[in-house]
Amino acid sequence: MIQANHLVKRFTKIKSVDDLSFSVKKGEIFGLLGPNAAGKTTTIRILCGIMKADSGEVRINNNSIEASKKDFGYVAQYFGQYEELSVWENLKFYAEMYGVDDEARLLHLLERYQLSAFKERKAGELSGGYKRRLALVCALAHDPKVLFLDEPTAGIDPVTRKLLWDDFYALSAEGKTLFVTTHYMEEASRCHQLAFIAEGKMIAQGTPQSIKKALGDVDVFTLNTAYDPLLIKAINTIAGVVLTNQFGENLHIVINRGVEKEQLIAAIERVKQHKVVLEETEPDLEDVFIALTQGARS
Amino acid sequence: MILAIVKKELLQLRRDPRLIGLIVVMPLVLMMLFAVALKLEPNSVKMAYLDEDRSFFSNLIKTGLWSDGYFELYEVTTQEAIVEEIRSGRAKAGLYIAKDFSALLTENQQPHVQMYVDGTMPSLTTAMKYNSNAATDEGVTNDMYFLDEDDPNTVIAESPFIMDTEILFNPDEKETWFFLPGVIGVLIMQIALILTGITIVREREQHTLEQLFVTPISKSSFIIGKLLPYVFIGLIDFYFILGVGWLLFDLPQPSSHLLLFALAFIYVAVMIAMGLFISLISQTQQQAMFVAIFIIVPSILLSGFIFPIEAIPEGVRIISYLLPFTYFVEIIRGLLIKQTLLVDLLYAYGALIGFVVVFVGASIVKFKRTL
Repeated sequence: MIQANHLVKRFTKIKSVDDLSFSVKKGEIFGLLGPNAAGKTTTIRILCGIMKADSGEVRINNNSIEASKKDFGYVAQYFGQYEELSVWENLKFYAEMYGVDDEARLLHLLERYQLSAFKERKAGELSGGYKRRLALVCALAHDPKVLFLDEPTAGIDPVTRKLLWDDFYALSAEGKTLFVTTHYMEEASRCHQLAFIAEGKMIAQGTPQSIKKALGDVDVFTLNTAYDPLLIKAINTIAGVVLTNQFGENLHIVINRGVEKEQLIAAIERVKQHKVVLEETEPDLEDVFIALTQGARS
Repeated sequence: MILAIVKKELLQLRRDPRLIGLIVVMPLVLMMLFAVALKLEPNSVKMAYLDEDRSFFSNLIKTGLWSDGYFELYEVTTQEAIVEEIRSGRAKAGLYIAKDFSALLTENQQPHVQMYVDGTMPSLTTAMKYNSNAATDEGVTNDMYFLDEDDPNTVIAESPFIMDTEILFNPDEKETWFFLPGVIGVLIMQIALILTGITIVREREQHTLEQLFVTPISKSSFIIGKLLPYVFIGLIDFYFILGVGWLLFDLPQPSSHLLLFALAFIYVAVMIAMGLFISLISQTQQQAMFVAIFIIVPSILLSGFIFPIEAIPEGVRIISYLLPFTYFVEIIRGLLIKQTLLVDLLYAYGALIGFVVVFVGASIVKFKRTL
């Protein structure tokens, strides 16, 4: 449904998007994952045709971007609806931009996103969550085949985020293709396919499960301990340690396979001055994200 | 705490180099411009003349008028042509010396000399009347007495000839007639430049442009759609202000309503096209406002709206002719006060249309449907 071939975009000398290629199948939720300034927004803007790539090609539904404008909708990272206009006026405006005149369908859209009660409310007076919904509704006004969402749930509470994601799955089940950028692991793990980029380059691609393998052969251990900077410093000096990551009372330690577990335990016990237990776990997406980001930056 | 806010504001300003440029450069440029431009002492005011006498004496009058550089004389062929030259704006004053001037003079009959001055600009009119006294200076008239001073019956007239001065077009020298037509232009300029000047920057700043560019709308549909409302607003405003002038200030009716409408439409179009261009070259609404002011202030001062164009030195006058408002002032005064004919205004209409073409063209080149 979406095909990107060797996209390159330079701002001054720095390549913000550096030879990105990927393809997204119909009905898929495709996540573009990466840290801040990785080139996610630039990439999604190129895909939507509001930014020109220096080189490379985008095909949407086997057409050029210009020819497929009616086939896709876009929700920008910032709220881009008219604050002085009401919810209904905004929706009508976007519908008219696509020549859509089916009021019943538009009303149904408002209903589906719980916006009916705010129909006459000025868009600027909506809360953050409802602004997102309005943006989504406006992007759906012309019933597009593809939806581009730039950080759709940034700054949104978990409950609203879940509701939005339930809806993304529903849209996907209806056959719509969703292209989502995010730096939330929780959000990334909900995607069918992921592309991980850093500094404009493709680092890894695949399902959330397979992308965890991008770290290569690693072991992940969990240590039950409070945050201890001395300990983290000691662990990080061991050759082969990829990453330490504190989650509350748990410390994730990612090490290259081949490093002896005993060596790690010994190092920890030297700092802690008592016996410790290391439990082996699966790497979670966040570990992978941080490790890959660090790898790309070093 | 106040100091912290002051510091923060200054830091923010410093990070907007364009705005800094405007804040520093604009006053500097305007200052230099007006220091040179506004002398308020016109020279080389054009005077059309017809001298049917062509004598030594009539030449004395002409050289008297010409001598201090205030008037610049040129010849026309008929007495009617003198008035037409003033109506068209090519001349601001006129002089007619009849065939029998020197004959009457030698017979001590006190001939009349006809002087015309354009009353459209009362301040200029006053200055012209004053300066035309050069024609009746002693230096001129000394050699014009043909009396037998020994003859006890003769009374020496105070002046050997009489100069009649006729004020054309605004005989009562009403200041409102002079100002009001220009005021319409200033108001339209402010409304159109500022409203359209911020229209696109605003959408950019509020991120609505990004959302809009994704839709299938074409470049031209976007620009036309964006500008049409302001064309209407500008036209309504134009006739509203003009209506007030007609109702309350007894402003004269135009020589042609069609031409007046054409002027309104073209002028509004110029201002909106300029506003659009400002909007496209500005990054923030603040910058757009400053650029608009940068155009409005010289327009008011250098267009002939307040000070006669003749009072602006030749070099600076180039700027006057780069300002659309200059042509507007000329046309609207022509239509309302002098009943000028289309032929004589064609070049001004042409100039305004030229501005529309230039700014619309530049906007189309500058406008990209990408961020």
